[in-house]
Amino acid sequence: MESLTNRSKPVDRRPMNLWEKIYLPAVIKGLGITLKHLFKKKATYNFPEQTRPFSPVFRGLHILNRDEEGRERCTACGLCAVACPAEAITMEAAERKPGEEHLYREEKYAARYEINMLRCIFCGFCEETCPKDAIYLTETFAPANYQRKGFIYGKEDLLIPFPEKENQPVTEKP
Amino acid sequence: MPLGLIMAKIFVDNIEYEVPDGKNLLEVCLSLGFNLTYFCWHPAMHSVGACRQCGVINFKDENDKRGRLVMSCMQAATNGTRISIEDPRARAFRAGNIEALMLNHPHDCPVCDEGGECHLQDMTVMSGHNYRRNTFKKRTHYNQYLGPFINHEMNRCIQCYRCVRFYNDYAGGKDLAVFAAHDDVYFGRQEEGVLENEFSGNLVEVCPTGVFTDKVLRKHYTRKWDLTSAPSVCHQCSLGCNILTSERYGGIRRILTRYNGDVNGYFICDRGRFGYEYTNSDQRIKQPSKNTDNSSQPLSTEDALHDVKDSIFSKKNIIGIGSPRASLESNFMLKELVGENNFYGGIPKRESDLVHRVISILHQGKVKTPSLKEVESYDAILILGEDVTNTAPMLALAVRQAAKNQPREKAYALRIPQWDDAAVRESVQGQTGPVYLLTTHHTKLDEIATKAEYAAPDDIAITGFEIVQQITRLSQSANGDESSQSFTASVARDLLKAKKPLIISGTSLYNTAIIQAAANIAYSLKDNGKDAGLVYAVPEVNSMGMSMLEQKNLDDAIGRAKEGGVDAVIIAENDLYFRVDRDIANDFLKNCHHVLVLENLQNETTTKADYILPAGTFAESTGTVVNNEGRAQRFYQVYKPSNEMRSSWDWLNEIRNSISGVHAENFDAVVDEMIKKYPELAKVKSVAPDANFRKGTQKIPRETARYSGRTAMLANINVSEPKPPVDKDSPLSFTMEGYQGVPPSPDVPFFWSPGWNSVQSINRYQTEVGGALHGGNPGVRLLEPSNENKSGYFNQSTEKFSRREGEWLVIPFYHIYGSDELSVKGPALAERIPPVYIAMNGKDLEKGNLKDGDHIEITFNQNKLSISVKSENTLPEGIAGLPKGFKETTGIEFPFWGRIRKV
Repeated sequence: MESLTNRSKPVDRRPMNLWEKIYLPAVIKGLGITLKHLFKKKATYNFPEQTRPFSPVFRGLHILNRDEEGRERCTACGLCAVACPAEAITMEAAERKPGEEHLYREEKYAARYEINMLRCIFCGFCEETCPKDAIYLTETFAPANYQRKGFIYGKEDLLIPFPEKENQPVTEKP
Repeated sequence: MPLGLIMAKIFVDNIEYEVPDGKNLLEVCLSLGFNLTYFCWHPAMHSVGACRQCGVINFKDENDKRGRLVMSCMQAATNGTRISIEDPRARAFRAGNIEALMLNHPHDCPVCDEGGECHLQDMTVMSGHNYRRNTFKKRTHYNQYLGPFINHEMNRCIQCYRCVRFYNDYAGGKDLAVFAAHDDVYFGRQEEGVLENEFSGNLVEVCPTGVFTDKVLRKHYTRKWDLTSAPSVCHQCSLGCNILTSERYGGIRRILTRYNGDVNGYFICDRGRFGYEYTNSDQRIKQPSKNTDNSSQPLSTEDALHDVKDSIFSKKNIIGIGSPRASLESNFMLKELVGENNFYGGIPKRESDLVHRVISILHQGKVKTPSLKEVESYDAILILGEDVTNTAPMLALAVRQAAKNQPREKAYALRIPQWDDAAVRESVQGQTGPVYLLTTHHTKLDEIATKAEYAAPDDIAITGFEIVQQITRLSQSANGDESSQSFTASVARDLLKAKKPLIISGTSLYNTAIIQAAANIAYSLKDNGKDAGLVYAVPEVNSMGMSMLEQKNLDDAIGRAKEGGVDAVIIAENDLYFRVDRDIANDFLKNCHHVLVLENLQNETTTKADYILPAGTFAESTGTVVNNEGRAQRFYQVYKPSNEMRSSWDWLNEIRNSISGVHAENFDAVVDEMIKKYPELAKVKSVAPDANFRKGTQKIPRETARYSGRTAMLANINVSEPKPPVDKDSPLSFTMEGYQGVPPSPDVPFFWSPGWNSVQSINRYQTEVGGALHGGNPGVRLLEPSNENKSGYFNQSTEKFSRREGEWLVIPFYHIYGSDELSVKGPALAERIPPVYIAMNGKDLEKGNLKDGDHIEITFNQNKLSISVKSENTLPEGIAGLPKGFKETTGIEFPFWGRIRKV
């Protein structure tokens, strides 16, 4: 049968000759490779002391953003949830009441917003689909947890903190 | 397509199609399944050619290569018509037109409630206009407060005029209009305020975009694709309009019209649409419980069944009280459980007799009762004693359409096609055909009435009998009473002149004579060769169904309990305090010793119960109800509640199982049992496919394919995903997996078709636009008159009303918002309930030295009621009107004689 890639090599089944039977040259050859790698760049990082530089398109844990005035951007339109291939996002919309204009940017907001991080595949479709620039995937990993329920991220986990001072603009992810 | 129809051959993009003659091109193209954009055209309101969105190229003949642009909705599909939808010029025109319409449309789909089911979104995508080029400032408008039902966001308007055409021309509303100056066109009220029309909720579906949206949904907003929906039947009156009930997070979110070409068509009333909030009430009973005088102890289902078995079914004489708001199956199971002789209908004798009378007339009489949709085809109408706008609202809407039939004949004679709405209306000039009202007082339909007369209930019946005499007289002598202008003479004349006269009456005045008089009139018209129709409105959603099973009524049960013949009672979904007087209900429950109640909301009856089992409302249960025309219709459970709520028949089935070991496997088994015992109900089996029905191998999903958040919704309760609930009672599944095409017509859980996300996708579920659903309209009529029926006329049995000195005959006044038992428990609807009053004739008020707003005290059967008085000059003297079903008037048995005293 013709091979698929032309790269397959037939296995050498001849008995070993004397040079091979000594083993020592092969051992030395192997040690040589090991020695060579001692002087090469390390392939691993000493996480967590040291972090790996991420690619600019890395997709980590989600955040819910605020606008320049510190108001929640999310209007609970549901597009992230419907775009989510893992169906891991759910939300409940609520109507902004008079007097809450400083809290919510638009007339509706998410009263409840939950992401099941166990289900999330970090594809970033939610970020892509968001018409209000409200949800972003950051460079943070989902931290480990002892319990499964710790992976259900609610609004309190996702929403970036309210700006301390009113005139200080909230830094948005570039 | 129906046989015997004249067909026309048309060519669409050079392919030949055979279509029925007399339609417009847009209808025809949509029926053929083409994707053609449109806004102002609506299948129920036809064409006006206002939006210019349905442009196609029309060719003179096969040699014409240039053609001309026409609006397909304004062009008849005649034999040999050649059009092109896909012609690049037509496509460019439609895309350009929508770009112009979108100039001022805000970019707010994420906050807009219509988003995801927006006709404008669909059409924009369909036309190919994807990106906005306009960068200028958009015009803005003020939004109005339009009451608790409708939210107004005028900036989204694209000026299609559908709203005013529906509200004013179709539904007869007066308080929505269009105001315009140059390019500023505004659809709203003259000033902020509640939209008064009873059908205002349909604006939500009629508006192609988000100008009018559902304010009640907004309180717990959910996108269409996230809703779990099931086909359902409205439980708020006897007409049985088809609805789609939708749920998310364990609460009902909204009600939409479910198209049924035989019943409600494209519309429902506001009571039906917004009256569902009681299902989410905090008064809901969610857990079985055992109650003693001052404590309530929640029970598990097993304990409850065990306890019920031990303490209720250990008794000797157990009776069951059914209910007109419980399904056929629930009433049947109760009857099975307690035995034939111990089952009592849940309504007092006077009401029970009326419904039985109606059933016998419809069953044994010789006149057909038309379906709600057929009512629209009659050309002369007489209403006897029924305030239909308030007792059966959609019937009033149908009457309004029927009233247009005779004047329209003139337009058709001028060869104006039926679908050319603007031209037809121009020719009709707001005239109405013969509509005669004979009621106790002024009703809303008076505005379209040829003549309205007001009389006491007994006098209405007597006038009805006189009309029969007039009809006989007129038919016997060609020029008999031609000249007489009396009410009875003109009614008789117009009914005889009409092709299809219709008599409408009902049970609302608790007067058997009126029902008999209405039947007599219809019989005599039939005997004169007319295609007469007879419609009765009955009190509640399943009044007809329950009465078909009931031989004894609530009064019989009360009598039996008084004599000590009852040891325990089971009450299924019935608040006795709503039916009968407080004292009577108190005594009855006391005399019954042990009380088991299956109920969905806490009420006075449940406070007296020893055991309460949580019964589902229409949203949590499956069942069959029979509407006023005798049409049996299936409603399905929408979602599986997280608590113990379930269908009443299911509870009763479980109880039966624990007592005797007889267990019906599922809903179908209950239906089978029922039709075995009652062969006259055999057709109930064919109302909808049974539970093992599959499309291919698949069930029909209640959730859309786009349903979101499945793995996250319940994660806050339990991270491990539970198995999705199984529905053993219906061919529908509680999940999003299943058959994705058009399901059988009784089992349509939502309307959606590729490219058509809005309710306009109904077109894709119909055999032809505005026609029947694929597979026939749902519902099976149980009562059909046969030609062999020769049942005779009723004899006049009433005396003329004579007033009594110092006493008033108090009759019930009905309110669309307020007279219904359950819908009033929702906050939005409750806002619309008027304050309680007693209406009296102005002359009576003068005599008693009273004026509007004075407080009076009315005394009757040892009861006292103190309320303010309102003058209603159309009400005959000696009669007073009291709203039925209000908090203050609950349980009052109408009509009664009362003494009135000023306080």
